Amino acid sequence: MITQALLTVLLSGIVVYAWAERRRSPLVGLLSMLVALAGMYLVWIPAHATALAEMAGVGRGVDLILYIWVVISLLLFLNLHLKLRAQMDLITTLARAVTIANASHAADANEAG
Amino acid sequence: MHSNSDGGVWVVVPAYNEARVIAAVIAELKRAVHRIVVVDDGSSDSTAEIGAECGAAVLRHPINLGQGAALQTGIEFALAHGAELIVTFDADGQHRTADVARLIDALEAERADFALGSRFLGSAAKVPPLRRILLRAATLFTRLTTGLALTDAHNGLRAMTRRGALRIRLRQNRMAHASEILGQIAASGLRYVEVPVTIDYSSYSRAKGQRSGDLIVILLDLFARRLTP
Repeated sequence: MITQALLTVLLSGIVVYAWAERRRSPLVGLLSMLVALAGMYLVWIPAHATALAEMAGVGRGVDLILYIWVVISLLLFLNLHLKLRAQMDLITTLARAVTIANASHAADANEAG
Repeated sequence: MHSNSDGGVWVVVPAYNEARVIAAVIAELKRAVHRIVVVDDGSSDSTAEIGAECGAAVLRHPINLGQGAALQTGIEFALAHGAELIVTFDADGQHRTADVARLIDALEAERADFALGSRFLGSAAKVPPLRRILLRAATLFTRLTTGLALTDAHNGLRAMTRRGALRIRLRQNRMAHASEILGQIAASGLRYVEVPVTIDYSSYSRAKGQRSGDLIVILLDLFARRLTP
């Protein structure tokens, strides 16, 4: 029961995070939310996890949940990567503006000099 | 109509740590065009100083961003200064100045907005075997993703009209820009033409050029871009 409660809290956190992230990256947000909700369902109804695991050829329900956790982690990594790219876009815009502004100042200084 | 001495023609040269060769590249270019803008992409050597001494307009990125970012900066600068035709030209000495005129002539003769250099219409025999395979793969990828039937998808020598340049907005900072620009050309619906050009492979340009491992990075960059708005 303690493990179930702990996992539920963690997965709930991911659902909230994915909901908040859905505007920035809809695909990653939606996938993370679906996988986290599926994980929560299987945590509380382990018999279904075992049945699903057998269907998927995984063996044990707990293994299936572990794999779901790995998938969630990879999706979060992907989201982090996309965030870094967005940051790089902003840095590029800023650096370009600085570059062109400096060039204009240099041209003005040359004309004045 | 444009002549090569026309001030409306700008050549954008993205450069990163090219102090060894940039003077020769600019000197050669100056025989053909008046307006040369070197975009120093955060070099740690004296590329910018040498470029300025040679008479080129020099823009300096405060940090290294990548060739795609440097090209976009140069294109925006040229457009802001009234460029009517913009040529992109690598700084490592692998392109020939004579090909610039051929690209510009092709734009006018074909009434196109983009003229794309192709080493496979020119002296393809000099392309190293591994690079030839990678470039063929890139050409196939371009065909599948953009519909453009090109013979050379990753050639840094291109010319574009002002109208064409205004449709280009490179967001791929690094090498994936070569695929991105083709996607934007296809999306623009504007006319393009391929022109035979010669690439001079030297030990220097080979060392500076792309490696086979870059292909994976390029594909990942293109994939990641599709996931973001």
